[in-house]
Amino acid sequence: MPGLPRALRAWWLRVRGLFGSGRIGGDFTAELESHLAMDIEDGIRVGLSREEARRQALIRLGGLEQAKIAHRERRSLPMLETLGQDVRYGLRLLGKSPGFACVSVVTLALGIGATTAIFSVVKAVLLKQLPYKDPGSIVAVWTANQASGGQPLPSSPGDFAIWKQKSGVFEDMAPSYDDEKTLTGEGAPRLLIGYGVSANYLRILGVQPQLGRLYTDEEDKPKAPNVALLSDHLWRTTFHSDPNIVGRAITLDGKPYTVVGVMPQAFNYPPTVEIWTPAAMAPSDFDDFKHRYVRILARLKPDVTVAAAQKAVNALQAQVDAAHSDTDGGNRVVLVPLREQLVGDIRRPLLILLGAVALVLLIACANTAGLALARDAERQKEIAVRLALGATRMRLLRQFLTESLLLAVMGGVGGVLLALAGTRLLVGLFPNDVANLQIPKVTEIPIDHGVLLFAAAVTLLTALLFGIAPVLKATHVDAGDSMKDATRGSTASRHTNRSRSAIVVVEVAFSLMLLASAGLVVASFQRVLNADLGFEPDHLLSLQIFLPLNRYPGEDAPKTSALVDEVVKRMNALPGVNSAAATNFLPLTGFWGVSNFLLRGQPAPKNGQGPEADNRVMTPGYLQTMGIPLLRGRAFTDADREGSAQVVMINQTFAKEYFKGKDPVGEELNLGSADKPDWWRIVGVTGDVKSFGQDQPTHADIYRPLDQKPFPIVAFVLRTGTDPAAMVQGAEQALWSVDPDLPVFQAIPEDKLASQTLALRRASSALISGFAVLALVLACIGIYGVMAYAVTQRTPEIGVRMALGAQREHVLRMMMLRGLRLAAVGVAIGVGGALASTRLLASLLFEVGAMNPLVFALAIGLMLAVAVLASYLPARRAAAIDPMKALRAE
Amino acid sequence: MGNKADVWQGTLALMVLKTLESMGPLHGYGIARRIEQTSGDLLSLNYGTLYPALLKLEQEGYISSSWGASENNRRAKYYELTKAGRKQVKKETADWEQTTAILARFLSPAEEA
Repeated sequence: MPGLPRALRAWWLRVRGLFGSGRIGGDFTAELESHLAMDIEDGIRVGLSREEARRQALIRLGGLEQAKIAHRERRSLPMLETLGQDVRYGLRLLGKSPGFACVSVVTLALGIGATTAIFSVVKAVLLKQLPYKDPGSIVAVWTANQASGGQPLPSSPGDFAIWKQKSGVFEDMAPSYDDEKTLTGEGAPRLLIGYGVSANYLRILGVQPQLGRLYTDEEDKPKAPNVALLSDHLWRTTFHSDPNIVGRAITLDGKPYTVVGVMPQAFNYPPTVEIWTPAAMAPSDFDDFKHRYVRILARLKPDVTVAAAQKAVNALQAQVDAAHSDTDGGNRVVLVPLREQLVGDIRRPLLILLGAVALVLLIACANTAGLALARDAERQKEIAVRLALGATRMRLLRQFLTESLLLAVMGGVGGVLLALAGTRLLVGLFPNDVANLQIPKVTEIPIDHGVLLFAAAVTLLTALLFGIAPVLKATHVDAGDSMKDATRGSTASRHTNRSRSAIVVVEVAFSLMLLASAGLVVASFQRVLNADLGFEPDHLLSLQIFLPLNRYPGEDAPKTSALVDEVVKRMNALPGVNSAAATNFLPLTGFWGVSNFLLRGQPAPKNGQGPEADNRVMTPGYLQTMGIPLLRGRAFTDADREGSAQVVMINQTFAKEYFKGKDPVGEELNLGSADKPDWWRIVGVTGDVKSFGQDQPTHADIYRPLDQKPFPIVAFVLRTGTDPAAMVQGAEQALWSVDPDLPVFQAIPEDKLASQTLALRRASSALISGFAVLALVLACIGIYGVMAYAVTQRTPEIGVRMALGAQREHVLRMMMLRGLRLAAVGVAIGVGGALASTRLLASLLFEVGAMNPLVFALAIGLMLAVAVLASYLPARRAAAIDPMKALRAE
Repeated sequence: MGNKADVWQGTLALMVLKTLESMGPLHGYGIARRIEQTSGDLLSLNYGTLYPALLKLEQEGYISSSWGASENNRRAKYYELTKAGRKQVKKETADWEQTTAILARFLSPAEEA
């Protein structure tokens, strides 16, 4: 046996043989001649006649041609050789019909490119490897309660302790809570998004710091020395990648903390956190069932599925509910797998886009198949001749597939180039600092091997999809029939017609599905855009600060009010500022909080399920500055101060929900408890504000004067006469002139915040409409191609009809009707498909039903109009046929 | 192919190499005739299959070819062993002897029984 190098050498020589080069075996005919001559001579020598000698020699050789073929096959690589022939032949064919080649390649490039681009996003976002140990068994645990909106929210430490001890499905469970810190002593004061996480929290995630170490269980105790872990981003920016950061002391909230480590760059859980400090919860904390602030991370035991764990926890929670009905009534535990937690709101839109783009790809395939069918019909004679000359069907099949592949590969290469360009735009799908959307941080979408492999697979698949129709037909060709048919055919065979009709129907149906979907999404986006925020977001600058508790303790309320009053006063005095005010939870920032209340005469709720409303505070100028309308009663004035009568305002939703038709002004709310009432008089009703985004429901709001209820979160708002972004510096100076050590968390114009909130929706609707338009254009080309071909094919028939007296209008109508009939069938199927699938769009819809008749009607109208246009041009050409010429061409 | 044994692929190469080893440079027709004679006319060789086999050996570098004049002064292509070919003959011969020895052990007890 030859070793591998010899086999390689032989193979290489055979490859060279492909190109007719190489010395070895190059002169076989001469060798064969000399062989035969010698054999014949030997025959004659033993007394045979020359003819007989030659005959026997040929028999011994097994046939002259056969010997040559056997030799040639060994000399080069026959498979590759025919492939080479096919490719060369295919390229020549494409060169002969450049129009067909261009349209097909562009169509496929668009389809493959769009699919690849969207897939690259899906891969970067949904399929990304998480940098955590066995992330499949990590879950976030939340508490949902219908009384507070049913969303997953933090849990109470008491519930946490019970679940951890008794559920039996968790290997480990760890508490955390958000814990913003003010960093000072490193340039301007900075507010850091921080998390207090227990030591085992980081162990559950299974990450190791890139520098230093994690903190220990000992350090995660109350009164232990203060330690902190930094994020990679914080370390790189604020600490300039200081390699000796570990062990350094930094100042957080005025207290010294020792840096024990820097987390790796890929670690971002919870997302956007800059600093992790020990949760340091005391054993007594876990008796608290009332305050819900614990954000829980847990690792499931091996072999326990999320569903099984959910079931076990539900059963346990039912017992806890019975034992602590005052705090746990109606609580529902929600387990969210880590990936889902991270991917959040973007999963569904992405999958919808992937579905949409798959439809575009299918349309592109149908289009190319249609074009190829039309072109191949002109090759019927060629195929028949080749079959008659003895080409095997396999050989023809292979050649057709090679041609399809050739087109697909060109389209695929174009597609990858398009995808490369497209992903840059797609990064825009991920605004990184949208507060009230949960989307992962994506800064780049790489086109890596995975994506390239996907593109290659899609390319192959498309080649098969659009190549299959011509191939099937090629194998159906009967040499004799086809030669007869093609020489004096007047109309296409039924079979050919049917496959072309199917293509038109499919294209129309898919395009209509996309059109209807895009219509629904765009209509929803319009509604959201036009939805009234409840305030005027333009020319409004916002500035958020978090007051450090060490300098502005909760019990020293006057200090907070004094600060806010002074800052608002100075902001008001800034040139270019029409008015300034302050609140606690600024709309569209994602920050919010609730408080319980009781109406007068309302019995104390049995199980803590008293009504809740968003707890807001404001300075007197707030409504006016924001442009929130006052609907009833009066707004707060400077007279509503600490010590004066306690007053509140409510929003319209609150008034509707709790006062029905009654006038709420003058009524009183108990914002304490049933035992310790704390009465506040309603003095006015404000308009509703869409605090969580235009597409989100409004909560019931209670506003109190900031002076009567100071809050550690403060957001200043400034109504400006000019560009609000230009006012940021002035506003910050106004703040720092009162307290130079206060970090500004975020300074941003409200209209920018509003626009960011819509980014995902905007991008989704832009993309899906883009795909729909693409589909429409492709379908238009497809229908046009098929109809134009039908006209060419029926030219003799039309010539005969006209010679026999058919009117031009009649021919026009006949051809148009054929196109429209097909379009109508496609529309019918497409409407069915759309009705069945638009429900999947629910997450992108807003105040528009999944079967909105207007949108459907418009989509159908548009589709039919395109079909009419695409059939009209060929039909007009048919009507313009000169019967004499048409008949003479026969 | 009649009642004679056919030459199967793997063995043909060894026969060619062995023939070239004992006869020295030889043309294709000569190799074919020589193989038939050596086998005592028990083997029937389809001459057409010989040439691909020669080509393969040449591609693998075990033999080389050149044009020369035949006994009757006819132009013919002569094949001869290369250095690698000589080594290969020894190796394949040893392999074959081993194979047949092993097979013989299986076959001989059956004959005795």
